[in-house]
Amino acid sequence: MDPSREDVGIVIRSAFLQKGTKQRFSLFALVVLSVLLLFIDKIDTKPLNYFRSIVKDTIYRGSVIVSLPTESMGSLAGKVRDHVNLYGEFAQLEEENKKLKNKISETDYLKLENTQLRKLISEKSGEISNLVSARVMLDKQSPYLNSFIINSGTNSKIKNGMAVLDGENFIGRIVDVNFFSSRVLLISDLNSKIPVVVEPTGHQAILSGHGKKNPTLEYLPEKHNVLDGNKVYTSGKEGIFSAGMPIGEAVIADGQIEVVLFSDLNQITFVNIKLGD
Amino acid sequence: MAFLFKRVKLKFLEIIPLLLLLYFSLNGISVVDFKLFSINLHYILIYYWVLRQPEALGYGFIFISGIITDVVIGLPLGISGLSLLTVAAVAAYVRVVTVRISLVNDWISFIPALLIANFIYFIALYFSNFTIDYFYLLKNSAFTLIFYPILWVPFTLLLKYMKS
Repeated sequence: MDPSREDVGIVIRSAFLQKGTKQRFSLFALVVLSVLLLFIDKIDTKPLNYFRSIVKDTIYRGSVIVSLPTESMGSLAGKVRDHVNLYGEFAQLEEENKKLKNKISETDYLKLENTQLRKLISEKSGEISNLVSARVMLDKQSPYLNSFIINSGTNSKIKNGMAVLDGENFIGRIVDVNFFSSRVLLISDLNSKIPVVVEPTGHQAILSGHGKKNPTLEYLPEKHNVLDGNKVYTSGKEGIFSAGMPIGEAVIADGQIEVVLFSDLNQITFVNIKLGD
Repeated sequence: MAFLFKRVKLKFLEIIPLLLLLYFSLNGISVVDFKLFSINLHYILIYYWVLRQPEALGYGFIFISGIITDVVIGLPLGISGLSLLTVAAVAAYVRVVTVRISLVNDWISFIPALLIANFIYFIALYFSNFTIDYFYLLKNSAFTLIFYPILWVPFTLLLKYMKS
């Protein structure tokens, strides 16, 4: 054998196959285990799902504990910032309060009219009771995935694909459910595609996330007449979400139709999960 | 007493890389995102310590750290573990073939480590039907490489302190 080739063989064996000092596993064995894990992750069976749930729940809890010092430092900085901005915010709130007071009478009238019209078409206008509330447990602002973890899972009858609301506004869907926690994929994420309807034009479209603050409207008809300020709602086309959940307002920017969300996705503490209609 | 204190201090110094590794994964800050760029702290940490002091970071811990990162960030299980182990593998290879240790040597050999690890990351994500911003990944690799010498300095100081 050529001596240089022999040397390479020795180097590879020494680096990848042999356990080093104080190493319990060889690199090769762990790489194989990682690849196996990738395949196993795709298998959907009950025992594996239980195992995954236990592992994920444990890691989420661990992550919450480890994040505590960082979180408290962050909240301390936030409090200082709030105190500094207090006067400006007070003036702004006072002005907003005046505007809202003027709008209350208008809203009351519209509510009354809405109830009367619903009665007229014999539709139930009762309170929504199929919602489960949950608290945001972990919000890691990952650059690769816009999502967060909530503190409810199968223990609250949450299932994959369910709609997640901030108040009444649609903000995402459940993509991973464990026993005591679930992952919410936000509508701003690159993997999020939601069928929507634009009002008042009535155009159907797909709301696509791009990993940035505002998602955009795609697959609109060629001759659409969507304008700034048009409202975007879920269309219910895919059959998972109910129709008419408010999402945001259309804004035309650089030839694209962006949707400015009604909810600030960075400021969410509590969410509602819609269990079904 | 002084001997015991010295031993405890040495033990603590020895596990600092391991603590950092687990802290980054549990806190979900393996990729630190600034407004214009981002850096992968995990890659730098693993590459440096596997290259210079392999006893400080067990491969098993690197694997576990990858699993934790996947769970916290929300990626399919095994992806981060695979890319982190790739970085460790390149570092282990470079350690065996290199005689002279210097920042420039480390830095240059970090380029193939980043390229191979991110290529594996890309392939694994592609086959998991998972979309990420690939331009972001490229930018992240470039800035991780740029930031390597900045973290090299404190790590080297820590290593010298441990050895002294």
